[in-house]
Amino acid sequence: MSAEIAIGRKGRAAGRHGAFGDAAFKTLTLAFAVLVLVVLAGVIASLVLGAAPALEHFGFNFLITEAWNPVTEKFGALAPVYGTLVTSAIAMLIGIPVAFGIALFLTELCPNWLKRPLSIMIELLAAIPSIIYGIWGLFVLAPFVQEHIEPALIDTLGAVPGIGLLFQGPPLGIGVLTAGFILAIMVLPFISAVMRDVFETVPAVLRESTYALGATTSEVVWRVVLPYARIGVFGGILLGLGRALGETMAVTFVIGNAHHIHASLLQPGTTISAALANEFTEAVGDLYLSSLIALGLILFVITFIVLALAKLLLIRLEKQAGS
Amino acid sequence: MNSPTARPLATEPDSPDRVSDDTAPPRQPRRPLAAPPIAALVQRKPGDEAPKTAMPDVKADVRHVNFFYGKFQALHDISVPLYDRRVTAFIGPSGCGKSTLLRILNRIYELYPGQTATGEVILDGENILMPGLDLNRLRAKIGMVFQKPTPFPMAIYDNIAFGIRLYEKVSKSELDDRVESALRRAALWDEVKDKLRDSGLSLSGGQQQRLCIARAIAIEPEVLLLDEPASALDPISTQRIEELIAELKADYCIAMVTHNMQQAARSSDYTAFLYLGELVEFDETETIFTHPRVRRTEDYITGRFG
Amino acid sequence: MIPLYARRRLTNRIIIGLSIAATGFGLLWLVMVLGTLLINGASAIGPALFAQMTPPPGSSGGLLNAIAGSVVMTGIATLIGTPTGILAGTFLAEYARGSQFGELVRFINDILLSAPSIIIGLFVYEAMVVRMGHFSAWAGAVALAIIMVPVIVRTTEDMLRLVPSALREAAAALGAPKWKVVVMVTYRAALQGMVTGVLLAIARISGETAPLLFTALNNQFWSTDLNRPMANLPVVIFQFAMSPYADWQVLAWGGALLITVSILVLNITARILAAWSSFKS
Repeated sequence: MSAEIAIGRKGRAAGRHGAFGDAAFKTLTLAFAVLVLVVLAGVIASLVLGAAPALEHFGFNFLITEAWNPVTEKFGALAPVYGTLVTSAIAMLIGIPVAFGIALFLTELCPNWLKRPLSIMIELLAAIPSIIYGIWGLFVLAPFVQEHIEPALIDTLGAVPGIGLLFQGPPLGIGVLTAGFILAIMVLPFISAVMRDVFETVPAVLRESTYALGATTSEVVWRVVLPYARIGVFGGILLGLGRALGETMAVTFVIGNAHHIHASLLQPGTTISAALANEFTEAVGDLYLSSLIALGLILFVITFIVLALAKLLLIRLEKQAGS
Repeated sequence: MNSPTARPLATEPDSPDRVSDDTAPPRQPRRPLAAPPIAALVQRKPGDEAPKTAMPDVKADVRHVNFFYGKFQALHDISVPLYDRRVTAFIGPSGCGKSTLLRILNRIYELYPGQTATGEVILDGENILMPGLDLNRLRAKIGMVFQKPTPFPMAIYDNIAFGIRLYEKVSKSELDDRVESALRRAALWDEVKDKLRDSGLSLSGGQQQRLCIARAIAIEPEVLLLDEPASALDPISTQRIEELIAELKADYCIAMVTHNMQQAARSSDYTAFLYLGELVEFDETETIFTHPRVRRTEDYITGRFG
Repeated sequence: MIPLYARRRLTNRIIIGLSIAATGFGLLWLVMVLGTLLINGASAIGPALFAQMTPPPGSSGGLLNAIAGSVVMTGIATLIGTPTGILAGTFLAEYARGSQFGELVRFINDILLSAPSIIIGLFVYEAMVVRMGHFSAWAGAVALAIIMVPVIVRTTEDMLRLVPSALREAAAALGAPKWKVVVMVTYRAALQGMVTGVLLAIARISGETAPLLFTALNNQFWSTDLNRPMANLPVVIFQFAMSPYADWQVLAWGGALLITVSILVLNITARILAAWSSFKS
């Protein structure tokens, strides 16, 4: 082999072996990375443009009007937004403790041979698509709730002053409560997975030294593991919330699709995504369509904020762990 | 063999102590280095034919090289010659910069932003640290073997052929010959000749490292850089690697980083001792390990620190 | 026994009991959902399911056009989404580590990953359906692709980052230009992980309904025209399940079973692939 090295003495990359390939490949990958940003920009732009007519027409009132009348073309986001928030709240109220319990079990109590199969099974809950939960909810859960759960709730909690307001009305099976419950089942694998991951980053020495002091299992987790991992846990909760807010099909099947706000959880209601799913393809009239897209914009803003917060927390967690 | 710059520290056995001279201050006789076992390793091995009387050619000349990781200066004004057809070992405690220096020679540091080198490295009359140089072609002239074996996730044959195919258009039969020749010179051919299509990952650690050596020499480089080539291997594999280095020396200029002083003593002709980014001493291996000039070198060799 | 300790022990027992109950709770619903799916869907499984088209209400039929439509649109989405995701992920792992731009792309990508899929459907509706003037299979495929891409970007980046830098250096040290290092060595090293990511992404879009509602809509008949609405399993299930017709409801369960089985198969394949690759190395 000769003793020369091909030179670009004047700094030109022209003669450099593979220079063209390098530039082309870098440009190619960069282009697709930029595409990700372009998609987000496109989503925002299309939502804003589509929602503009309705927002201009109704102004701020759009957010606080309960009415939803395609005939008189009076639309308000209050009922769907309320439904979205309430069903997600129910999902979190049920889902967080259950997810915590699963995470506790899998990290502290579960025998080693069982860990893997159990984790896989819990993850399968996340893999089942929304529509499956939807039809299962409609045909199996809702009748069950109607026949057994709701009457019991009405008889017991419904009579209590205060909370009783939440449990009034005939047992329908479908409604806000059922939708919230299904959402809880759908988000708990996500929250549980993040919690588990975060629990496992807690240094073994920390847990062991707490046990060595004579602490019980629940004390170790509650007082040491959880505080240590609280950033990640909170991030995971936000991630679950983000999912719950945007869930469509499961909710659509069981929420009842009524643009009304009731205090009672047993009544039908609607969420933003359920309203979109049910009404979009049949919406006639520009204002109707634009109002629906405005709902979509509101949902996007809410989930964006929640997910961005979750991501920021998890980034902070990584930085903490890295240092 | 006389090194032009070495001066013995220990008193030579046949010169009288001049303690009786009244005008001269009493001079303490220096104890010879307490039988360092390492010195005993530096021996003429049978078959070591390299003529030592003639000065070998300088293949690569490192001149006043400084290296920076961001703002931190890792190497200070290093100047050292690398002789052709000789093995030069770089030794020193952890973090002294020996691997850093090695990685300057093929500018592999340029894969990472924030790392810069100043100074010159003259290879065959050209400064390879010059900006604008075609780095890929440079690296094709300089082979590198890493501490951990890094076989590519492909067939053994393809591992060797990878480098060849980068720069040369060779026919299938010639490629076969080149692959076989590289594997033979790396003392791996007999073990893999029946399974050239198997993945490189299926070999043992020692075999993988010899595969990496074969891969490096297949492109017919002029300089070979070995970064602690045997540190991840068991003693038997280590021995085979060292035997290999002794054979390869006849064809290449070899620069070897090692944290194992005994290995440096066994395998190298010249040794450079680095400490905290500075070149403390450079000399023929025999000299470094029997009568080093600098106190710090002696301390390191005898294990007083490091 | 000291009262304090007794109380602590009791609390501990209660919490442990609750956590076991929680785990059982989660598993219970898994079993319930999969169980009823099997029971109700099994009756729909038969040759007719795969041979006949979706019927009008009150008649019997199959899901052939829906299955075919789903396969076609998932296939196109995979063809669009996989190279996009892999190349974007490659950029993040190989060119943008630690750069602010890379952080931004990663951040946005993760938000798109969890964003409501119905919003993606709205976007493609505005961008494609409105412009084209009609619903189409192309729009459906694009919507699915947009949902796939963030998953593949994430897994590709993670897998590429796992490849040890020594391997890249070894290839560069032979004089390979960067793009060859990435394509011929790094990709190969990360291949199994990347394929797993693609499989999981496909599983993810297999059940997606909302994005198809406003893009591909549905089609009662067999259609191979990509410019027209195309039948697909999820929307058919939606329509049939919400209807009062028993025949339709049975078909809906059958379709649901099909989707779930394919997702499970994809997930299991992905896991086996992941386990096999870690076994090899």
